[in-house]
Amino acid sequence: MRKFYRELPPLALLLVALVVVIFPYVWTLLTSLKPEAAISRPLDWNFTPTLAHWQRVLLESNIPLQVRNSALVGLFTVGIALLLGAPAAYAFSRFRAGGSSLRFIILAAQMLPPAVLIVPFFLIMYNLKLLDSIWAVVATHLTFALPLVTWFLIGFLDDVPRDLEEQAMIDGCTQWQAFYKVILPTIRPGLGAAALFAFILSWNDLFYALLLTGKESATLPVGIASFWTFRGIEMGQMSAAIILAILPVTIASFFVQKYLVRGLGGGALKG
Amino acid sequence: MHIAFRYRLLLPLITALLLIVGYPLGFSFWVSLQDYRLTAIEGATWIGIEHYIALLRNNSFWTALRNTLVFVATAVSLELLLGLSLAMLLHRRTTLGRNFFRSILLTPMFITPIAVGLMFRFLLNSQLGVITKLTEAIGLRIDWFSAQNALLTLALIDVWQWTPFMLLLLLAGLEALPEEPFEAARVDGASAWQSFWHLTLPMLRPTLLAAIVIRMLDAFKVYEYVYAITRGGPGESTETIQYHIYRVGFLYYRLGEASAMAYVLIAVILVLVVTLFYSLRRA
Repeated sequence: MRKFYRELPPLALLLVALVVVIFPYVWTLLTSLKPEAAISRPLDWNFTPTLAHWQRVLLESNIPLQVRNSALVGLFTVGIALLLGAPAAYAFSRFRAGGSSLRFIILAAQMLPPAVLIVPFFLIMYNLKLLDSIWAVVATHLTFALPLVTWFLIGFLDDVPRDLEEQAMIDGCTQWQAFYKVILPTIRPGLGAAALFAFILSWNDLFYALLLTGKESATLPVGIASFWTFRGIEMGQMSAAIILAILPVTIASFFVQKYLVRGLGGGALKG
Repeated sequence: MHIAFRYRLLLPLITALLLIVGYPLGFSFWVSLQDYRLTAIEGATWIGIEHYIALLRNNSFWTALRNTLVFVATAVSLELLLGLSLAMLLHRRTTLGRNFFRSILLTPMFITPIAVGLMFRFLLNSQLGVITKLTEAIGLRIDWFSAQNALLTLALIDVWQWTPFMLLLLLAGLEALPEEPFEAARVDGASAWQSFWHLTLPMLRPTLLAAIVIRMLDAFKVYEYVYAITRGGPGESTETIQYHIYRVGFLYYRLGEASAMAYVLIAVILVLVVTLFYSLRRA
């Protein structure tokens, strides 16, 4: 029993933290289900739930188009990042290519403030006539997704024993075959986690998308950001749109959390 | 021509990064040396370092930089404190439901900051906000977005979203620590506080350093909360550097000036990170 009492204070603190974290989600979900009048009376629990805001958002707004754009941007970003990042990560991990300085230059690219890159990107895309297209956004998202995926995969590749590809080459594989037939499949969880994490970052970006997209190519964060006026009806729709934006990544987060540290540690923590 | 296997693996990534990071960086510097305006892209004239000299006397720019530093310092130190406390709680073997708590407590760092900004703008709104109403019910009238409070409120929102990142890294750091020193300390009769102060903290230093640097670099980019809630106001009280560059470049159309600001920003961040790195490593 005494042991049990000693567990109460930590548990109470964690419960407080849990409430602080969950409350905004719950409130937003509730707001998306409240009729207009109830939204302006936050402490009044007497209301009949309605799906009207969800209907407006899903059937009559641009949000579905923006969800599609966000998904496309994310998929292209992740696809390209894996295609270029995985071989490079292998070169870094196995052959120490470029030494550690090249690794850190690549990491530094990820740390650049978007404010530095947005002006040149805007002008380049203007000259290429690519403003208001998802390709402009994909290019900017690659500036953080490429370094991220590469670093992530270095962390996983470092843990794969060298005997594996040596054995494969004795069995007659070329270096390239040893890489993509033997090594890549062994780091499948790492590839999945890197892809998911890069997708989440792309899905969440507002800054680049806001300045490079137009009506047709707007992504979901841009759509959400446009609910700026605070009227009851728009609060309901905004809340529904917010739930749409955060639900998929929250679910995805449960799958990446476990791998995140290992991936970020790809060098950052091991030094 | 024969290129070694390792460089063939590397070449696509390097080419891509030169194209999407190297070239824009160079281009941006070239733009910063010209009188480049969005309204007259074709007629830009070369003005050398005039933008950089003008920045020295540009009060709005330094206000934005100071606001950003206050924001970063407040947010990151609170995140460190809370993140470390939560990590210690979740690290205890006996804590009930550790995995459950961890997976829920980590969720805020995965969601889009613009949604976080708008959620809190709503929760803290002076008329519609449930948090405002609840604090009023216990006699506390807080104007979250007044000129005095707004920057601090934005920092607290950052704390809500990014303490999880600290928690994630520090928890992993704690779990990687060896057991023996702690057992030896227990045998020698050290209190929990003593072993935290003399063992946990020193051994955790590399992780702490990495977590602080990563969080600081990220907090410097704060933009979404400002965009969602205050748009720099009241006055210039929440004008942060990333928002200011956006404003000058894309609301005032002065791309050359915005690029010069971006370069000064890089320099400031570099100086800060290097100083922090060396002072913490020596300490």
